[in-house]
Amino acid sequence: MNSERKTRVLIAKPGLDGHDRGARVVAYGLRDAGFEVIYTGLRQTPEQIATAAVQEDVDVIGLSVLSGAHLALTRKVIEKLREQDAAEIPLLVGGLIPEADKAALKEMGVAEVFTAGTPISSIASFIKSRVANA
Amino acid sequence: MKETHDDIERIAKAEEQWRQEVLGPRVKRFNLEKSPTRFYTPTAEPDFDFLKQVGFPGQYPFTAGNQPFDFWRAYAEAGARMGMRPESGGGGAAGRYSGYGTAEDYRDYLLRMQSLGNRGGPNVAFDLVTQCGYDSDSPFAAGEVGRVGVAVDSFRDFEVIYEAFTGDHDIDKVPSNFTINAPAAVIIAMYVALADKRGIPLEKLRGTPQNDILKEFIARGTYIYPPRPSMRLFRDTLVFCRRHLPKLNVNSIGGYHIREAGATRIQDLAFSLANGCAYLQTGVDAGLDIDDFAPMFTFNAFGGSMEIYHEIAFQRAARRMWARLVKERFGAKDPHGMMIRQPITAHVGCTSTTLQRPLNNLARAVVGGIAAGMCGGLPAAYPPFDEPLGLGHSLEAIQLQMDATRILIFEAKVADVVDPWAGSYFMESLTDETEAAAQAELDKIDGMGGAVAAIENGYMPRAVAKSAYERQKRLENQEEFVVGVNCFNRDNEIDVSVQRVVDELYNPLQMATAEERQLVKLALLRRERNGKAVARALAALEVHAKDEDANLMPDLIECVKSEATLQEICDVLRGVFGEAEPVKI
Repeated sequence: MNSERKTRVLIAKPGLDGHDRGARVVAYGLRDAGFEVIYTGLRQTPEQIATAAVQEDVDVIGLSVLSGAHLALTRKVIEKLREQDAAEIPLLVGGLIPEADKAALKEMGVAEVFTAGTPISSIASFIKSRVANA
Repeated sequence: MKETHDDIERIAKAEEQWRQEVLGPRVKRFNLEKSPTRFYTPTAEPDFDFLKQVGFPGQYPFTAGNQPFDFWRAYAEAGARMGMRPESGGGGAAGRYSGYGTAEDYRDYLLRMQSLGNRGGPNVAFDLVTQCGYDSDSPFAAGEVGRVGVAVDSFRDFEVIYEAFTGDHDIDKVPSNFTINAPAAVIIAMYVALADKRGIPLEKLRGTPQNDILKEFIARGTYIYPPRPSMRLFRDTLVFCRRHLPKLNVNSIGGYHIREAGATRIQDLAFSLANGCAYLQTGVDAGLDIDDFAPMFTFNAFGGSMEIYHEIAFQRAARRMWARLVKERFGAKDPHGMMIRQPITAHVGCTSTTLQRPLNNLARAVVGGIAAGMCGGLPAAYPPFDEPLGLGHSLEAIQLQMDATRILIFEAKVADVVDPWAGSYFMESLTDETEAAAQAELDKIDGMGGAVAAIENGYMPRAVAKSAYERQKRLENQEEFVVGVNCFNRDNEIDVSVQRVVDELYNPLQMATAEERQLVKLALLRRERNGKAVARALAALEVHAKDEDANLMPDLIECVKSEATLQEICDVLRGVFGEAEPVKI
């Protein structure tokens, strides 16, 4: 990991879902684990998320979705990242994701899917391994 | 009383001796710092006053329960002999919470449920697009239409849902529940417009709109306008309902959402009561008589957890606190307004369920059912075990959940005694502790200026997020345990998986195509309706929205009847009221 600059993580809530317990808890946890965390707040469009990721020059993006709209919203975020030449930023998805949809998300290009019960330490280690390899 | 105090002194002495001779050596023998258990004696409640602290079920302060027995208990055995299913409603209640796809999909689902014997009114889940005051063709709607509930863009959609409710199921016979908050006034306007169109007098309409906007800012997130104009809309619904819809409950105040979002038990209680007081004060400030409107408030359950003793104490404390607030702070005389009317009492809360070995959630739900049965409620084992899978509740999981409730009622006979913990040294002291801690938190919020101020300054939403993180840290440090999640999750456990074999309740193909079909309908609506009438109604709404003293319900009813869309209506109000700023962490 680059020692001059902390790894930057964007935690984002795409769509209209207001269930942000997970997003906030992960944001707090990653901050305590030494990351620089930017939390978008609720109701972000895929375009806003991609723009924030580029402007803030983040190393990784975490999307949190509990509304069942994860496939459509993640696809859109990836599209918008591509449009802004930022498709290389690793994308993580968390929330209420049915088992069967995990493969579909990974096929789209999602680096990893974290569902309920995941310790924040696992998310932190995953990010460290991924960003170090990048 | 003197004798009792002598008794307590004697017991206190004996207790001290027991500590030294029995407990202490045992703690030492196992090399512990302190005892992992507690034992309660009369010294926990030296000044216990039964009539003041507990009283009788159905009497102030309602600690022991709202009633000596509830409606469901009166006919439980008769229902068992007849094979009644609780969700069948019997016309007395709204049915199971449901909603998905387009209004047509949902109507057909409701008709299918009726063909299976359901007789209750609709208990409508709206999609997030509707809950946030957007139309299905808004850029914010993509991917969300018909997803967590039914899509309602206009009165047309609302009418289609109610095609399932005619004749014996017409809206003068069955009640309706609407889980809607920020646009609650618009949905109530649709209900009124429907009654007008069907020639049904408004005083016959029954039901419950959730209409609890304050907790949206603290927990659930489907707010539109800033808190103060949101409360003005609440006032307008309250005043209008009391004048024209006397049988419609005004709101359903939810602590459940606040706890699920991470609040502690004490925060849940204090924040919910603070919100409740803000709504009561709104009615008083509007010139209504507290005894006229407080009885029309309902609660949508406080939050729950697996800590069974604490949850029982919590419900007892909540009933007593609300009763005292309504009586002492607001000067009510009618005891009906002092009761916490809620369909669910203690429960484990959906956040207690785990994705890991999900069948364990049935065991968890049973714990909640026991807690409910022991605190004055229906011993409902909730939720169905497949709750955390994100696939919707399967019919078989619902069957097991209902059976668990029945086993608690009929086999375990949990509900044969009201408030079985009344007078328990332990439970009375835990109830008092819960009340005192919640009262201190409530005083703090009052000191800030009440619930609205404690939302505007970010206190309540931030406190909830912090508590959620504290809990997560305790789990990661194994200071708290969740079976199969942060303990008993190694390779030596068997990963019990479940198969869901009964068909889904909601047709997945309809879910997948709902957005597309809804967009076609919306485009048609925009072409077919009278644009001038829409513009006129919206213009009148805007004029009156700027006048704080005006009640917007008549304008909203006109807007709805003109077939203005939900977003067009909400956009007019956004223009006047502004939009809520999300809370920063």
